[in-house]
Amino acid sequence: MTDSPGLYVYAVIPGSLPALALGTGIDDVPLKLVAAGGGPAAVVHEHRRAPYSGADDDVQRWILEHSNVVERCWEQAGTVLPMSFNVIVAPGDGMPASARLAQWLAASGPALAGRLDALRERVELRVEISLDQQLAAGDDPEVAALREEMQHRPAGVQRLLRKRLDGMERGIAERLAGRLYPQYRRRLATLSEDLAENRHAHQPPASVSVLNIALLVPRSAVTAIGGELSAIAAEEQAAQIRFLGPWPPYSFADVPELNPG
Amino acid sequence: MDTGRDEDMQPTRDPQATLSELVDALLNKGVYLDLDLVITVADIPLIGISLRAAIAGMETMLEYGMMNGWDERTRAWVRDSVARQVLLRPDEDVVAGMAGGYYWQDPSSSAATWRQGRIYLTTERLIVCRREPPEVLWQAALGAVSGLELRTEPSVGGAIRTRLLVRTDDGAAALLSAAEPARLKDLVRNRLDGTGQIAAGAPAFGSSQAGDGAEEPDTLLFKGDLWYQEIRATGPVWRGGTGRYDVQEGFTWQDPRDRRPAIRLQPDEITAAGIESAGTDEARLPAGISSILILGTAEGTIRLASARAEQWAMLLRGVSRAGRRDTGVPEVDDAES
Repeated sequence: MTDSPGLYVYAVIPGSLPALALGTGIDDVPLKLVAAGGGPAAVVHEHRRAPYSGADDDVQRWILEHSNVVERCWEQAGTVLPMSFNVIVAPGDGMPASARLAQWLAASGPALAGRLDALRERVELRVEISLDQQLAAGDDPEVAALREEMQHRPAGVQRLLRKRLDGMERGIAERLAGRLYPQYRRRLATLSEDLAENRHAHQPPASVSVLNIALLVPRSAVTAIGGELSAIAAEEQAAQIRFLGPWPPYSFADVPELNPG
Repeated sequence: MDTGRDEDMQPTRDPQATLSELVDALLNKGVYLDLDLVITVADIPLIGISLRAAIAGMETMLEYGMMNGWDERTRAWVRDSVARQVLLRPDEDVVAGMAGGYYWQDPSSSAATWRQGRIYLTTERLIVCRREPPEVLWQAALGAVSGLELRTEPSVGGAIRTRLLVRTDDGAAALLSAAEPARLKDLVRNRLDGTGQIAAGAPAFGSSQAGDGAEEPDTLLFKGDLWYQEIRATGPVWRGGTGRYDVQEGFTWQDPRDRRPAIRLQPDEITAAGIESAGTDEARLPAGISSILILGTAEGTIRLASARAEQWAMLLRGVSRAGRRDTGVPEVDDAES
């Protein structure tokens, strides 16, 4: 990237918006809209450097600033297609970046508009259900016996037994998680329009993950999901539940028509 | 669902509490622009080290030697990331990578020790290297590899481990540890045989499981492609996945993108297994599937579709409660209450 700037893209929004208060983006840079005709428009800033790169703390701050822009667009436009972090349109083919982006927006306009429409008034919720392995194995007679035995053993033996205990508890919690997953997924699916598993989930310590999922629901259905999760928490004492959102539909922004095959 | 409305869980938006998920969402989700059309994307290569762990899925692909199925952008990222540890030659491409190590013997003494790092199979070499500080611990040109052998031996901790012994045509032999020694051997073997296309064109979907037939348990009786009709708020949706009947696990169905099977039924939980013709409204079913497998359970009816629906029905009817007692689906008995 040399003299002609690239465009860092935050999101695509419906173009037919009344004057949108765009505000600023990453590192307080001013934002602008690139549009093609009356179709969807991209929220961008002019980017003259390499893609963002740095220490984790910086990356996290940039990501938060990126997400703030997406949130703002979402609140004002009612629907948004968030871009991944660090998507930068470069100038090329003898065209400035803005022309290339506008060309892309024009070509993809109908697909983008269709997706934006489908996501209107929809929110993403994230649900993570895990089992506290100690609670999950609490009633198991073998675990109870081993715990009892440990009390009367010397410290070195205790350490070994603790390892065995941990393995037993984990095994019991794993089996329980396997039995609970189908039921929980089914209950959440009936309340959701789409579901996406999070494969990069982190794991709380001493617990076994049952399900970690993003749900696409109408805004009005958030309460129903909360009710279902409360019911799950009441039924299963070992369940630990994280419930995040409502977010812009990050996990459901993909436009399949744009990526054939 | 009768839960006190006052006690319903409320989702949290606190950025401090949700930061890791937000980072995941913005790095892994969201729209990518079409690479060919417009864009220079640098989504992964330049971000901080520990955030890179977020792309663990990519590591898995690499472990299975599925590079060929990737787009050029992803391959370029892998090349870049490997190039920080090993200087790759022009035209040298990474085929597979996994955690591993090299059993190093000090030539000046009898001391020997495991040096751990990562193993990369490239189009030209087998390399064991260390990330920090970057160092090639051992390497061999593929053309010089004359033998590959799996060996089991007790590790320092006493557990039995499988190692890969690599012989080279200079008469030397190196002992490697690897996360998946058998798979590594196969990957190198395929490369040497010139087949190379280990998973070329394999769909990202399901192939990691399918590629590993040798590791299926003996208790697995029947396995095949199966579509499961999930009921959503907007209506039924057909999802692709794999059905398995295992004498221990019972009947399971899993979409490989999911963490766990979404159906898990022991034989005595299956109250009926029958066949229905696919209706005309089943437009989203793959072509050529005309029969729907209907499973009765205490929690409702499950609909599955397969080209082998009849076989599935026979199998599951045979093992199920229905088969053994020859009863039908229990009817909801509200008339007599």
